[in-house]
Amino acid sequence: MVEELWVEKYRPRSLDEIVDQEEIVKRLKEFVKQKNMPHLLFAGPPGTGKTTAALALAHDLYGDYWRDNTLELNASDERGIDVIRSRIKDYARTLPLGDVPFKLVILDEADNMTGDAQQALRRTMELFSKNTRFILIANYASKIIEPIQSRCAVFRFQPLPKGDAFSRLKWIAKNEGITVDEQALEAIWEESQGDLRKAINTLQAASAISKNVTEEVVYAALGRVKPREVKEMIESALRGDIIGARDKLRVLLYNYGLSGIDIIRYIHREVLSQKSIKLDEATLADLLVLVAEANYRIVEGSDDEIQLMALLSKLAVLANKSKKG
Amino acid sequence: MSTSEPRLEVPWAEKYRPSKIAEVVNNEDAKKKYVAWINAWLRGKPQKKAALLYGPPGSGKTSIVHATAREFNWELIELNASDVRSREALRQRVSGALDTGSVFGYQGKIILLDEVDGISTREDAGGLQAILELIEKTRWPIVLTANDPWDPKLRTLRDACELIEFKKIGKRDVVKVLESICQKEKIECPKEVLSAIADNSKGDLRAAINDLQSIALGKKTLSIADLQVLGDRAEQENMFEIVRTVLTAKSPEQALSVTRLPSLDYEMLLQWLSENIPYQYEQSLQAIADAYNALSWADIMLSRMKREQQWSLLSYALELMTAGVSSSRERPPFKFVKYSFPEKIRILARQKEKFEEYRKVVREASSRLHVSTSKFRTEVQPYLQVILEEDEEEGKMILRSLGIPENKINVVFKTEEKAHS
Repeated sequence: MVEELWVEKYRPRSLDEIVDQEEIVKRLKEFVKQKNMPHLLFAGPPGTGKTTAALALAHDLYGDYWRDNTLELNASDERGIDVIRSRIKDYARTLPLGDVPFKLVILDEADNMTGDAQQALRRTMELFSKNTRFILIANYASKIIEPIQSRCAVFRFQPLPKGDAFSRLKWIAKNEGITVDEQALEAIWEESQGDLRKAINTLQAASAISKNVTEEVVYAALGRVKPREVKEMIESALRGDIIGARDKLRVLLYNYGLSGIDIIRYIHREVLSQKSIKLDEATLADLLVLVAEANYRIVEGSDDEIQLMALLSKLAVLANKSKKG
Repeated sequence: MSTSEPRLEVPWAEKYRPSKIAEVVNNEDAKKKYVAWINAWLRGKPQKKAALLYGPPGSGKTSIVHATAREFNWELIELNASDVRSREALRQRVSGALDTGSVFGYQGKIILLDEVDGISTREDAGGLQAILELIEKTRWPIVLTANDPWDPKLRTLRDACELIEFKKIGKRDVVKVLESICQKEKIECPKEVLSAIADNSKGDLRAAINDLQSIALGKKTLSIADLQVLGDRAEQENMFEIVRTVLTAKSPEQALSVTRLPSLDYEMLLQWLSENIPYQYEQSLQAIADAYNALSWADIMLSRMKREQQWSLLSYALELMTAGVSSSRERPPFKFVKYSFPEKIRILARQKEKFEEYRKVVREASSRLHVSTSKFRTEVQPYLQVILEEDEEEGKMILRSLGIPENKINVVFKTEEKAHS
């Protein structure tokens, strides 16, 4: 038996296999039928099927030739806009195979490009618009410059509803011959929310610990996946040790390579659990507002360390008041 | 996004480090004292088991230790301030080496703790305490270096060390070193260029060599025109003053005054402030929180400005990061702080190199999973690690399906060793 990662093994290959995002899938199928489409921008949180939908669309458009007609790029890994441009140029030079009159460029993590790079991308899109179509993929549409947005049909992917995520996980469990109980699913959901990639990875890691996946098994797996520095960082901040908190934050950001958003999600969960962060001077609602505000600022700003330090130092002030109060 | 960089070369400042103590430039008094201390070690009974070499950057403190190791064929155990963050970290790195004998091929050991003034004022005192313990226990010579040894917090450390002062390198000697490097690198360079580099370095030999290397990149003959690429070394000094003006301003106007400097690099200022706010406002959490809040908004305004080409936002961003930062509702009493270069920039530069190696190995796996290599690292790898630990066979099969060969597994999971220890 060939083992592989379940996220890949169970990735839908064609649009018909995608069970969620019905409205989006319906419109994508229409493009396949017409053999025509505008540039697309897929925006939405991680693990909601953006890349899967783009690949499935390519598959349905070109059938067996989809690989020859699709250029997959990841903005985070290409060395600068010049490289992206020249790869697109080389690729767009040849004609599409088959009966679809254009080739496809899938550019993932496009919101990681700087404003300048996006301007250059926009010119590239125009230059090759005769025989290529772009699918840009981003977590935040707001991080894509206006002129590009206006050239694309924007599709907003929603986090998966709990029920759909559960049935997908159960289906995978059945195929893999493992058992997973309802509390275990709840525990996976608590961590992953609508992020199916995270949910499936968690299930697979848990099943490596025990084929009988229970709540305890899930927590055991999660405990090993989550960096312990998250907790230490929060504890330092609550103790008023700002520099200690920053050291931990820097480990998370630069050694683990987590994004500010990843870290704010961890903090969010700590706040909600009401275990490590419990303060006399702040209600749960106060804390949630602080975290939500920080989340917003991380998206709007560009320096994750500064934004998270702003949050951690506010928590330190509240904790200090609570101690005295 | 970064563009590709020129070919990496060994820094000349490393390549041409002296290999004998006698070759260390200048500082004859310091050398005499140092050699006496080393000789005491060789005879087995030094009065002080550690030496603290202090003096300005690029005066030869680190070089003399490297030279010692080479001259006597000793193993050099080198730690930077950032490694000495905590007792635990220090123990992990050095203690093992302390008790054991010397490694095969070496005739002894020497331990170098670079830039100890970097740790003293800010990190937990545990680090300093650990150094003291280390000095007490050691069977091998320990050398500490510092730019400024007179920090009150270093007092106990000073008492435990032989103090040896290094002075700036004279201009003539800087030029001599540069000349000999040019000769070895087969570079033609008029004397007035070397003289200008030496002037600009203000007695910092390392800076002078770095400058020479950067203007000589890819060239065989140099002229005075090449000097233009060198930034003024005074710029950094300038940044210290700007940060001090902002963080200790008595009025918003005073803080704002730095925004009128024609050459102000505000992106850099943002980083400098972020680095130093916790140190300057150490005594007041409220002041730190308020200052960071202002920086947070400055960052947001700068991002919006660039994203939406709203240049009018710049003045708000500048006001927020200066007057906004300094006008916290609680102001701790003034204290003198030696400001630090933004650690974040240093860490990122270091991580970048490390990540490149990792990226090569997981590139194939990432593309099979349709994620970026950095997503692979954060979203996939931790789960793979659990699987691999629980069921090695299955884990290896999965890695193979991702195009990661067995002999590269170490490379992939090494970068995370800190994470899952």
